[in-house]
Amino acid sequence: MATVYSQYAWLVPVFPLAAFLILTAFGRGLKQTGAIVAVLGSFGALALSALVLIEHLGGADEYNDSFHWIKIGGYALTAGFDVTNLTALMLVVVSLVAFLVNIYSMGYMKDDERMTVFFGYVALFTFSMLGLVLADNLLTLYIFWELVGVCSFLLIGFWYQKPEAKAAAKKAFIVTRIGDVGLLIALLLLFWYMPDHDLSFAAIENVFGQTGLITEGITTLIAILIFVGAVGKSGQFPLHVWLPDAMEGPTPISALIHAATMVAAGVFLVARTFPIFEASQAALDTVAWVGAFTAIFAASIAIAQNDIKRILAYSTVSQLGYMMMAIGLGSVTAGMFHLFTHAFFKALLFLGAGSVIHAVHTQDIHEMGGLGKTMKTTAWTFAIGALALAGIPPLSGFWSKDAILAEALHANPALFVVGIAAAFLTALYMSRLFFLVFAGNPKAGGEAHESPATMTVPLIVLAVLAVIAGFVEMPFSGTGWFGEWLTGHAAEHEGAALVMLVSTAIGLLGIYLGWLIYVKGAISRDVVTSRAPWLTRMLERKYYIDEIYHAVFTVSLRAIGRACDAFDRHVVGGAVRLAGGAAFWTGRAATRMQSGQPQSYGLYVVIGLVILVAAIAGRRFW
Amino acid sequence: MSGFYINWSGELVAFFAFAVIMIVGAVLMLTLTKVVHMVVSLAAVFLGLGGMFVVLEAEFVAFVQVLIYAGAITILMIFGIMMTHHQAVQHEPARPVHEIVSAVASILLFGILFYAIRTTEFEPSAPPLQAGVDNAMEIGKQLYTQHVIPFELVSVLLTVAFIGAIVIAKKEAE
Amino acid sequence: MLSSYLTMAAILFCIGLYGALSKRNAVIVLMSVELMLNAVNLNLVAFSKYGVLPSLTGQIFSLFTISVAAAEVAVGVAILIALFRARGVVNVDEFNEMRR
Repeated sequence: MATVYSQYAWLVPVFPLAAFLILTAFGRGLKQTGAIVAVLGSFGALALSALVLIEHLGGADEYNDSFHWIKIGGYALTAGFDVTNLTALMLVVVSLVAFLVNIYSMGYMKDDERMTVFFGYVALFTFSMLGLVLADNLLTLYIFWELVGVCSFLLIGFWYQKPEAKAAAKKAFIVTRIGDVGLLIALLLLFWYMPDHDLSFAAIENVFGQTGLITEGITTLIAILIFVGAVGKSGQFPLHVWLPDAMEGPTPISALIHAATMVAAGVFLVARTFPIFEASQAALDTVAWVGAFTAIFAASIAIAQNDIKRILAYSTVSQLGYMMMAIGLGSVTAGMFHLFTHAFFKALLFLGAGSVIHAVHTQDIHEMGGLGKTMKTTAWTFAIGALALAGIPPLSGFWSKDAILAEALHANPALFVVGIAAAFLTALYMSRLFFLVFAGNPKAGGEAHESPATMTVPLIVLAVLAVIAGFVEMPFSGTGWFGEWLTGHAAEHEGAALVMLVSTAIGLLGIYLGWLIYVKGAISRDVVTSRAPWLTRMLERKYYIDEIYHAVFTVSLRAIGRACDAFDRHVVGGAVRLAGGAAFWTGRAATRMQSGQPQSYGLYVVIGLVILVAAIAGRRFW
Repeated sequence: MSGFYINWSGELVAFFAFAVIMIVGAVLMLTLTKVVHMVVSLAAVFLGLGGMFVVLEAEFVAFVQVLIYAGAITILMIFGIMMTHHQAVQHEPARPVHEIVSAVASILLFGILFYAIRTTEFEPSAPPLQAGVDNAMEIGKQLYTQHVIPFELVSVLLTVAFIGAIVIAKKEAE
Repeated sequence: MLSSYLTMAAILFCIGLYGALSKRNAVIVLMSVELMLNAVNLNLVAFSKYGVLPSLTGQIFSLFTISVAAAEVAVGVAILIALFRARGVVNVDEFNEMRR
């Protein structure tokens, strides 16, 4: 089928870019109008990407267009865009969430003085993220990859008056940078080994699709390095530490960047370069196990946290682990499906959390309670998001998580067990969060009231999406068109009935346990704390990962830095001081020479003459 | 030039005699303590130089040398010493470093000059000038023909110096 | 024979140089300068007889030098007298106006 809108897909990122430029140029004078500019920008992107998606749902061909960016001799570096079913879907997800977050922010950030700056950053981020999705080769992707990193840094540190926000922004930037270096090295290796130095995804698929063109060792190395980049961006263990701290940023940012889009970029990157991973079983296993470990590891930390946003952040880390696991198991379909549904319900949860924080001005869930009575819309939509996350049918999270678990059961039962355990923990911490915040009696003075419509409408839209997004791919015969459309492979259906049964049971069990502990009080809240206080403390301290990093990296780096500083201060600085001192003392001596006595001057002239003649005549003897 | 073979011609004997007078006079000038004695030894140097000019067959220059240097300039020096009420005895040197460095520099310079003189080959394109006959007349002819402009300029210079010296040295009007 | 005269002139010049550089009394410095000028005169006259191009010009030049030296001494002594009148001393090392 001919493409109509796909060839204009490059315009999608242009809308938010225009919004960013307008906001940056005229920001100060705009105030409330600035928000409208940003909303219009993201709406333009949404409308066009929706048209592109509809076209592709109708079966449009893949479209690619690129231009020569840099020409060096016979080699040309290209930049361009790729419209496939996958990118079309991602375009809609990104622009839809961005659009809703923009609307939500109009309410949430209403009283902030730097509102237009905020919307400018958001627009820049939207542009970068859409560019990342559209990029048709790794280098272009890498540029946008760094751009989203910068936007993330700017937005985490948006309230730079808070020292925690500043530290968190720095941490996020530095930790993701470790991953980015991996990606950069992978990029250089690919550039070196690819025929014609072609970095486009089409060429990658071509080359790695056939065996023998690139040796297995190099393939594994490249794949692992790309995965390191994805680990940094998607907050996988061991580089997950920045994501919970990133919650110091404004809540809409947490929803947009640190739940729905940017952190999913790592998953998207692995999906996009999947042919490389496919060519190396070792790399796939690494991805699967790191993902699975992250899933259960982050979920266990989430149980012991008290900050509403941090719980959601660890939940995000855990769910990203799920996605990685799915891709590592060889099913891009399941991973992308979960990414798709997760984007909606996690954005919903964050925006709901933002609505709660907006109302009670605290982030500690123990200081909340009974908000379900006063904030009905927030409570209901939050409940939908929580149930979707916990994997309760028929909400979207259930279907996507099911696809992953079915894949795991089919490919690696050990990973299936890990996935089920993580699902149980997920259900448990979500019920704990929900019941502590919305059930029980009000604690925060009772002044909480429902947020304005600009904030609740996005919640409702996202709640609807969180309910229905899963229906595109159900494990019943004849309904698996989504996977077929997206990657050409349907999700795994074998043993689906068993998986559905087990995961539903586990999810309900987790919620029931949470209800018993936090609502009914049938089980004491301290049941674990009293028996094994070390366990609670360990979970509260996030397995001491931050402390370990501090001890291992920060302290040793600081020691090296101190040594370098000492070297600089004493050796380099000493040399500099020596040079300066030499000049100074020479000057002192020269000053003494200027005695004002003509005889001294005459003497200097004679000495100079003698030296000059000796130097000129002396050359004869050498 | 070569070796230590010395041809004891009359010129050489006279040269050595005058050279001894001059060097002794110059050294005495620097070493004597009484200023008046210094002036007297300086006059000896001037006279010795005049004699050397005679040996070089430059009788007119020798005459001028004795007249101006040994006469006028020595007298001027004595006048200068008298006018500045100088204590008759020179002080012991208060700047040993300065003196030593000066001496070393002077000796080094002499070494260089001496080396240059010894190594340079002077090859006259003509036999030595025999200016002994009518020396004064020849100089007079050249002064008033070839060098008349410098000669007149020197007269102006002398006049200016004469007036200037009077202006500088005269007591300021109260 | 020429090199003997030149050596003689060099000796005279260097003695004069040493005196001009080291003596404190301005009058003696002036006398040392005269010594140096005399050394130059000796050179001129020696070259006029034994030089590469023997001619009378060397003697005429030495006459000019002598007249300039006479003018110089006259002005120099006058300056010394004026200085003495102003400062009371004629020690060279006490004049350091050039420093400012």
